[in-house]
Amino acid sequence: MENNAVCVNEVTHHFGDFTALKQMSFAVKQGQTMALLGHNGAGKSTLIKIILGLIKPDIGEVSLMGGANEGSSSMSSQGVPVRLGYLPENVSFYDKLTGEEILHYFAALKGVSKAKVATLIEEFGLDYAKDRQLKTYSKGMKQRLGFAQAILSEPDILLLDEPTVGLDPHASQFLYSKIAALKQTGCAVIVCTHELSLIEPHIDTAMIVAKGERLALGSLAQLRALSGLKIQLKCEGLADLAEKEPLLSRLYRHDALYFDREQQDQVVRCLTSQYGKFGFSIMEPGLAEIYRHFMAESESSHQALALTPSLNAQSKTSLKARLFSPFFGMKNV
Amino acid sequence: MFNTSLPLLRRSPVLIIAAKEIKDSFRNRWISFISLIFIILSFSVTFAGSAITGTLAFPELNNLITSLSTIAVFIIPLAAILLSYDAFVGEDESGTLLLLLSYPLTRSQIILGKLIGHGSVMLLSSSIAFGGTGVLLVLLGEDYGAIETMLVFTQFILSSFLLALTFILIGYLVSLRATEKARAVGSLLFVWFLFVLLYDLLLLAVLVADLSFMNQTVINLLIALNPTDLYRAVNIMAIGAQGGLSLFSETSWALEGLYCSMFVWICVLMVIANHLFRRKPL
Ligand SMILES: Nc1ncnc2c1ncn2[C@@H]1O[C@H](COP(=O)(O)OP(=O)(O)OP(=O)(O)O)[C@@H](O)[C@H]1O
Ligand SMILES: [Mg+2]
Repeated sequence: MENNAVCVNEVTHHFGDFTALKQMSFAVKQGQTMALLGHNGAGKSTLIKIILGLIKPDIGEVSLMGGANEGSSSMSSQGVPVRLGYLPENVSFYDKLTGEEILHYFAALKGVSKAKVATLIEEFGLDYAKDRQLKTYSKGMKQRLGFAQAILSEPDILLLDEPTVGLDPHASQFLYSKIAALKQTGCAVIVCTHELSLIEPHIDTAMIVAKGERLALGSLAQLRALSGLKIQLKCEGLADLAEKEPLLSRLYRHDALYFDREQQDQVVRCLTSQYGKFGFSIMEPGLAEIYRHFMAESESSHQALALTPSLNAQSKTSLKARLFSPFFGMKNV
Repeated sequence: MFNTSLPLLRRSPVLIIAAKEIKDSFRNRWISFISLIFIILSFSVTFAGSAITGTLAFPELNNLITSLSTIAVFIIPLAAILLSYDAFVGEDESGTLLLLLSYPLTRSQIILGKLIGHGSVMLLSSSIAFGGTGVLLVLLGEDYGAIETMLVFTQFILSSFLLALTFILIGYLVSLRATEKARAVGSLLFVWFLFVLLYDLLLLAVLVADLSFMNQTVINLLIALNPTDLYRAVNIMAIGAQGGLSLFSETSWALEGLYCSMFVWICVLMVIANHLFRRKPL
């Protein structure tokens, strides 16, 4: 289960002059779920299309299950066809066909039996609507159908582009439980979404992308550490304690304590044994805060670049000068 | 039942796609609509004479086919275009094109599947309408030999089918290039106007002008360059009519040559469609 199911290596892609993806690299192991996060137009859907082989990247390569990426006809390193499951964003299928006919059509194209379709329709709670034409379906019903379509063939690699858009809480819970079951069989899942709190409990890793560049990649714990965001502790009467205790006063801000993971033991010991406080809540930074942190960071660095072009150019030349010509550098200094 | 008896047929993605397109056309009532138009056309040409005289009087078989093909040459391309214009833009807009391409299918299989589906729809409608007319003629009129009439109508349906395939493929080309359905329809109506009306007007003007370079080869070439002219020529040639448009009676081609040219049109359009599909931005 420790093999890479998807491996993206230094992928760069342009649409005309526009750089949609810049030196993107990452890997997803079998049986793992990766969240693909980023602002609108960050390049998430483009990346998914590249993994599917629908778009050929200008530079870089993608390998699926250890074999070269030939799109839908990819073979794994063992020479077995790679089964792909894909849910495109805003898919609306064929208006005139019924839900059941649509699933039968896609099942037939994948060589999946009608019995499997019947089970899926049942599981997805679409039984009552299976004989109705698709144009009578609500958005969430279409989305359920789309997800059922994606997992028809029990895929090795499942790519979901905003799967929970329009789903009610119950349905999205069901979707993630289905993903969990597929993971048990070794399926690698990449989910692109904007609903961070919804996906947070279900992921192994997350990749944050902005303007086609990778900002951060790792497990939730790694991302937390990378972001340097503090743990938040709230408790009654904290203001009074902070005045008395210098350790706490240093960490005290806006009616809460903020500290790093290494300090947690010390703080908790102080509160419990010294002051007898046992009722407190500890909040680790969630995916949403981590996301906001990295986005703000990239925003400010972009702004800094944009606001001070001359300064930037200057510092670059002086750096170059120092690197390549010690005399010139000395004169400058 | 179907699954077990025809495992091979059911597995082929081309046929699965074709079957879906046919089902879609039934749902859209396209089949009924096109059949109805063809029936009205065919019956009005065939039985209009009787309506005027008040007795059952049928035109001669040759004249009938000539009149039918003159009208069919307008209607069949139009029906084919309306059937095929959204084959790719439509799927692109609904997101299913991306989905299909992520399946273990090749692009040529998708094109071929759709062509077989849409082609069958046109073949079915024209068989119902024109075949039905033939059967009625044999039943009602005394002067028609059953075998001869059926042969003539089979030939007419076959050439109509080839003409339909050509325009279905032209529809695909535009559909593959277009980014919006409305634009695809607009461009296709322009193409239809060009092939069906404008080209012939220009051709006739050139012929009337009697330019020195207009020899038989050039005329043949000019006819081969327009599938609707090929269709007209096929039908005039097949019944051996003398009094048709002078333009076509001048062609010295054999019937097989004309059919071959129509076939070449279809093959060339298939190759172009494949090429465009491969280069379509996703
Ligand atoms: N076919 C195309 N031609 C030109 N530009 C494109 C094309 N497809 C995408 N782009 C551009 O590439 C960028 C990334 O698009 P993409 O669809 O991957 O974004 P995304 O991260 O999925 O955004 P969203 O969250 O809105 O779905 C956008 O700026 C978009 O305008
Ligand atoms: Mg997107």
